[in-house]
Amino acid sequence: MASGVSAYAALNARVRVLYSNLLEPEVFASMSEAPDLASLIGLLKRTVYGPYIENLKEKELTAHGLTFHIKSRLADAYQSVIHTAPQNTRPLLFQLYRYYEVANLKAVLRGIAMGPTGNNETTLWERVQAVLFPFGSMTILPSEAMMETGNVGTAVELLRNTSYYEVLSFAMKRYSAEQSLFPLEVALDLSYWRKLWQEARRLLGEDQGQALRVIGSLVDMNNLMWAIRYRIYQQLSEEELINYTLPFGYHAGDEDIRAIAAGADIPTVVQRVYPYISNVNSLLEEPQSGLPRLELELKRHLMKQCMAAFVGNPFHIGVPLAYLVLSDLEIEDLTVLIEAKSSKLPEEEFVPYLLKVPAGKG
Amino acid sequence: MFFSKSMSELELIVPSKDLLGVMKILSGHGVFHQADSSYPTLDSESGSSNVWQEKASAYSALERRVQIVLQTLGIVESQPVSADFQDVVELEAVTPTFERIETEVKQTSDRLTEENKHLEQLESTLRQLEPVVDINLDISSLHNSHILYSTLGIMPAANVDRLQTSLARVPHVFLTLRADSKNPVVWLAGSRVNADVLERAARSAYLNALNLPENYKGTPDEIIKSVRKEIDLGQQKISELKTALTHLAEAHKDQLLGLLWQIHASRLLADAILRFGQLRHTYVIVGWTPTDDLEELIHRLKLASKEMLIETIPTHRHGDNQNVPVALQNSKFLRPFQMLVTTYARPKYGELDPTWLIALTFPLLFGAMFGDVGHGLLLALFGVLISSRKVKMLNSLASLGGLITICGLAATLFGFLYGSFFGFEDVLPALWLVPSKDPLPILGIAIGAGVVLLTIGFLIGIFNAYISRNWGRLFFDHNGIAGFVLYWSLLGLLASKLGRLSISPTIFIVLAVVAGMAIMFSEVLKHLVEGQRPLIEGGLGTYAVQAPMELFEAVISLLSNSLSYVRIGAFAIAHGVLSSVIFILALLVSSPHGIGYWIVVAIGNVFIVGFEGLIVGIQTMRLEYYEFFSKFFTGGGMRFEPLTLTSAKEE
Repeated sequence: MASGVSAYAALNARVRVLYSNLLEPEVFASMSEAPDLASLIGLLKRTVYGPYIENLKEKELTAHGLTFHIKSRLADAYQSVIHTAPQNTRPLLFQLYRYYEVANLKAVLRGIAMGPTGNNETTLWERVQAVLFPFGSMTILPSEAMMETGNVGTAVELLRNTSYYEVLSFAMKRYSAEQSLFPLEVALDLSYWRKLWQEARRLLGEDQGQALRVIGSLVDMNNLMWAIRYRIYQQLSEEELINYTLPFGYHAGDEDIRAIAAGADIPTVVQRVYPYISNVNSLLEEPQSGLPRLELELKRHLMKQCMAAFVGNPFHIGVPLAYLVLSDLEIEDLTVLIEAKSSKLPEEEFVPYLLKVPAGKG
Repeated sequence: MFFSKSMSELELIVPSKDLLGVMKILSGHGVFHQADSSYPTLDSESGSSNVWQEKASAYSALERRVQIVLQTLGIVESQPVSADFQDVVELEAVTPTFERIETEVKQTSDRLTEENKHLEQLESTLRQLEPVVDINLDISSLHNSHILYSTLGIMPAANVDRLQTSLARVPHVFLTLRADSKNPVVWLAGSRVNADVLERAARSAYLNALNLPENYKGTPDEIIKSVRKEIDLGQQKISELKTALTHLAEAHKDQLLGLLWQIHASRLLADAILRFGQLRHTYVIVGWTPTDDLEELIHRLKLASKEMLIETIPTHRHGDNQNVPVALQNSKFLRPFQMLVTTYARPKYGELDPTWLIALTFPLLFGAMFGDVGHGLLLALFGVLISSRKVKMLNSLASLGGLITICGLAATLFGFLYGSFFGFEDVLPALWLVPSKDPLPILGIAIGAGVVLLTIGFLIGIFNAYISRNWGRLFFDHNGIAGFVLYWSLLGLLASKLGRLSISPTIFIVLAVVAGMAIMFSEVLKHLVEGQRPLIEGGLGTYAVQAPMELFEAVISLLSNSLSYVRIGAFAIAHGVLSSVIFILALLVSSPHGIGYWIVVAIGNVFIVGFEGLIVGIQTMRLEYYEFFSKFFTGGGMRFEPLTLTSAKEE
């Protein structure tokens, strides 16, 4: 089994090139200042996202259409990285990529549960399709066929022989009783992150350490936000909250999650896990607006963690993993920009929600 | 070989009545690349476009339905032996027959699904009851206790620990009645006072409680017996239904496969027609065809429609050819190198195809860095082995076989020049020089080779800019004439200062300054030549900072590009040094005649071929992509993808 330099030489070169193509804060600054969506599209066409949007027809140049197409770059990046990665790391990379498939599955289930609406211009499938991630031929989801069933139970049956079936079939009993997608979505999330963590732990040596650092940071962020939201918004019992969260992470341990579940002061716990975030108290005073901003802070912290992977010895899985996470966060920023320009929001209303602070606006 | 196939633009105005005949010709020969017609459609008036839109959607939906039926019947999709396509399918004609088969298949398959589901439920009930078979207690009494809360059921194994953690502060009893890696059978019990807490915890851990139907009464043993009887009956029914499906598959296989092919072809045609321009009674078809195939295609088209208007527009290689598809035409020998080129980028139409150049330089650079007769031959043999596809494990590398073989042969050739055989430098006489003993000459020659290659790169870049009539790039770009003059002026200046050239350095300084100024102000000059306004984008201040940086970057890149080729010499030296390290290690193990010595030498040589071979391969690619291609190759061409009902022809 190849390892170190020989295993990562080609992948590292490829990722370095991709990394250098991530958009600079200056580019974000000029895009933030774009007077409207058309100007933003013009600027986007000059970036690495250009090839993905330059041939779009007029009717596809909507916020949804653009977001859908720029995600194709991330899909390409994943496929490129997976195909060049050492064999033993591919299951981990592929499981990370499955995040978007899980999101697609949730979107399809929501579409089915929502059912057809009065809008006759587009079919329900077309509306759902517009929010799906362009996963390509690697997907195992028969999304359109699932939508055609019009019934969550029958749609889940179509997933037989996939890894999702077993997870969902357990949760289906609760869906039938409660008619809510919440148990299905939580089951999918927990199963996804458990598998990702297992794949990271399967690696050896430097690879394992680096993978746990990146994946663990992602887990920390999600787990903590779940726990806080379950307690504040859904008033779940201590036992339920523990069952709906994960017992592992990089900085955030099970004791932190259990403390939140047991009713401990949330800012104290968050501060303990993320000592660099100073304004947790003020953020949580008004959860409605504060929680998204806290999540934003956690994502910025994640960005820093990922950028740190590019310093030092580059021959390990941490570098491609970090790039893929950074690339995903960039798409999030672009989505904010596209939605903001599409809704004609003034700069001061959306710039605070950008992860990569545009140059001169920090 | 030097350029992609010459293309001609084809514009057809086809009467509606001849459309399908023409489409059959266009899609039947794999030589027509369709382009979106820029003609406005008159769909609002004629409604015809909508008709094809509806047809395309209907074909697509029917195709999926046929595929589902085939899948249900376990029939593998394949193209029929006679894939002759006569006409687009009339949906009204085929739908009733298909629906009859579909209904028949669906009814049987639905019953099979129901029976399977029922069987699964029964087996699940059985699995849950088996661990408690010895308990002589009526199951229903567990639910009716006033003191005890208890729940018996199955749950995901992954959630067991978490459930126990969540109940750490609640008095309870939790037993795994049957361990299972996926779905263990568990029993959770506690005081009825805590029933709500326990129930919420169990539910959130996805513990699915055993729910026995009303008719299951009595002890677990009694219920198990009754369930087993039902399972036997269910299995019999499933077997009968599967046989029925097999009979259906045998009866309808050919009919369904034929239908799928016809619908598939019809859908492809309908999709293609949607991209045509449409007038009241005619269609406008626009596309590209290789000029060599044009005459034959037109002849066939004229036979298909007498009233069709055909206009052909020859495409020049110069100018902006972004929309012209590119069909590369390289011999089988050059295919592996073509793959290297297209991995970087596909040449634009009119741009020189650098495949032949890379076929020449890649093995040369690789061989120079990895010169060894023994290692080269081993590599060549390995290349032949993977090309032959005889080792299944290496099949995924088969496309690289040719490249590895040629590189191996080049390494063998240089091995003779360096006098190196499996690292031994005293077995063969060196026909040229021994890199590890003459390091300075080999490093000098490497830089010289770099200068030659970069010069070729510059000249091709200049040629490409001329062909595409990109005057700005031709004269003022750092990869154009200005860059070329600057490069050779700097080289001339160096040679003059070192006393190797009798020409006055002043001439080179003047040339370098003029070329440098052209590069520094290239943006303004390009805009001026091309008539683009404004001359300066982004303000004068920004430009004043950017312009000197442009020149600085150009000079640095010329320097780094040239010095980058030192690695050719460095790797040639490293190859010899690495071999001598292997011999030193071998001597530590045993004397030169001992078996240990030869084992270490053999392992070391395998390591050199595998590890160093890989690194040298990457370095060669780097020299080609970053140093050489960046001088002249823009790429970005569109692949020629002919309209065809079957899988596309390879280039």
